[in-house]
Amino acid sequence: MGYDEDLSFNYFGPTKIVFGIDSSKDVEIEMNSLGGTRAVVVTDKGIIAAGLIEGITKTLGSKCVGVFSDIPQDTGVDVVDKGAAFARENKANIVISVGGGSVIDTAKGMCILLTEGGNLRDFNGIQLLNRLQTPHIVIPTTAGTGSEVTNAAVIMDKEMGQKRLLVENFNVPRLAILDPKMTEKLPRLLTAGTGMDAMTHAVEALHSIPHEPITDALAIHAIRLLAKYLPVCIENGSDLVARGQAQIAATIAGWAFGNAMVGIVHAMAHSIGAIAHVPHGIANGILLAECMDYNLEEAADGYAMVAEAFGLREKGMDDMDAARAAVHAMRVFSKTIGHPQRLSEMGVKEQDIEKAAELSLSDGSIVNNPRFVLESSEVLDIFRKVL
Amino acid sequence: MGVRALTQEWMDAYKAAIQADPEYKDIAKNWEGSVALVVLPDPAKGIPETVYLFQDYWHGDVGEFVVCDKDKAESAKFVMTGEYARWKQIARKELDATKALLQGKLKMKGDLPYVVRNIKTVNKVIDILGAFETIWPDEV
Repeated sequence: MGYDEDLSFNYFGPTKIVFGIDSSKDVEIEMNSLGGTRAVVVTDKGIIAAGLIEGITKTLGSKCVGVFSDIPQDTGVDVVDKGAAFARENKANIVISVGGGSVIDTAKGMCILLTEGGNLRDFNGIQLLNRLQTPHIVIPTTAGTGSEVTNAAVIMDKEMGQKRLLVENFNVPRLAILDPKMTEKLPRLLTAGTGMDAMTHAVEALHSIPHEPITDALAIHAIRLLAKYLPVCIENGSDLVARGQAQIAATIAGWAFGNAMVGIVHAMAHSIGAIAHVPHGIANGILLAECMDYNLEEAADGYAMVAEAFGLREKGMDDMDAARAAVHAMRVFSKTIGHPQRLSEMGVKEQDIEKAAELSLSDGSIVNNPRFVLESSEVLDIFRKVL
Repeated sequence: MGVRALTQEWMDAYKAAIQADPEYKDIAKNWEGSVALVVLPDPAKGIPETVYLFQDYWHGDVGEFVVCDKDKAESAKFVMTGEYARWKQIARKELDATKALLQGKLKMKGDLPYVVRNIKTVNKVIDILGAFETIWPDEV
C-alpha cells in the first residue's frame, strides 16, 4: 500500500463518543454538558413500539419538551420541515435522535432549520453554513449508518425525485451515545442489512479517491470487527459484547467514509432507494461485491486491505490476487449472515433499475469512485447482475 | 506577459481560452446556466473587498464573463464562495475543486446533482485556467 508524494488531506471528526452498556442513561448528564435545557427527542414509531424511548424520556424528565416520531423509512424534506416546526413550537434548544439513519438524518436537518430558520429547500447547495448549528446528541439503535459522526445527511426530495445530499461541517452531531442494549432487539434482517451498510462504508472509504492513512486505518479495523462480530450478532442478538463491537465498527466506519467519502455503491443504493424504496443498508449489501468487481482494476490496493482485514491475505499474494479474494469473501460473508442477494427479492423490477442507473450518475457519491463512470449503461450492467 | 487575476482583463482572457479550447464545446454541450465565483476579502493579499465574478455558460458556448456586483452574482444558477487563497490553489491545481467543496473549503449554492452530472464540464473549465498566464495580486 502506498500514498502519493503529494498526499494532503483534512481529517475532521469532532463528535464525542460515550460507549457502554446502559450508557444511554447518561443522556441527561451529557445534555447538560452541551448547555441543553429543552430537548426534543426524534425517533420513529418502530423504536417507540420496541420500548426504546421510555428510558430516555424518563431520564430526561421535564427537560424533554416533546417527542417527534412521524418519520418513515426514508426521511423526506417535508418530514424535516414538520419536525423543525414541532421543535420550534416546543422551544427546543437541543435535539436528541434515537434511531437509525432516517431518524438521525431527519434530526440533522431539523438542527439546521432550528438555527437558520426557513425550510429545508432553502438550503440547496453544499457547505453553506457559517456557524455551529443546534446541538445534536445521537443514540443509534442500529449498527450501520455511521451518521452519528458524519457531516452528511441523505434526505428524499419527492419534487426532485432524488435523494438530496446535505454536507455541512457545522452540523456534525456533538455527541454519540453507543449503548449496546439499544441494538439488542434488532431483528436478524435489520442486523444484517445495517451491518452490511457499515461494511460498505468501510470498503468504500478504502477505495474512494480521497482515502488517506487515517481513514484507511479506521476502515480496516471496522472491517475486522464486522467480520468477527456481525455473524455473532446474527446468531445471538443478545450477545451484548458482539452488539457493542458492531456498534463501534459502524461508528468508526462512519469516521472513515465521512472523510474519505463513498463511491458507486452508495450512488446506486441512493438511486434504487429513491425509485424502488429498497432499504439503504440492504441495497448497499446487495451491490457491494458486484461494485468491487467493477472497480477491481482501479482499486486492487484498497481491496487488498479488505482481504487483510478478513485475514485472507497469504504470503506472496499480490494486490490483485488479494483483491479478488476480498470480492469472493464479501459474497460469501453476505450469504453467511443471511443478507438478501438480489434486488428482485426486494421487489425491484427491470424498469426500476433503468431509471436508477440514469439517476446514479448525478448522485454526489459517484465523483469519488476510483473508476470514472462514463455511461449509465455501465451502472445498468451492475444492476442487472444483482437483479 | 500575464494578466492580473480577478480583473475584467483576466475574465476576458479566461473566456477567450475557453472558446479556443478544442474539446470544451463538446464536453460542455449539456451545461446550461451561469456560475458566480465569490472571492472573499483578504487585504493582506491584495484583495481589499469581496470580488464577484459572473460567468455565463450555455450548451458549449460562453456568454457574459464579467466582474460584477453582489446582486448580479447572487442571481447566478450556481454561486461558489471561498477565500482568495483557496481559489488560487484551485486555479493552480494544488487543490481539487470537488475535494474543496466536500471539505468546506468552498461553499456552493445550487443544485449539487446537476454539478455532479456535469462534473467533466466543471473539471474542464478549471483545467483551462492554466492555459494562460495569471499574475496573482499577492505576487505582484
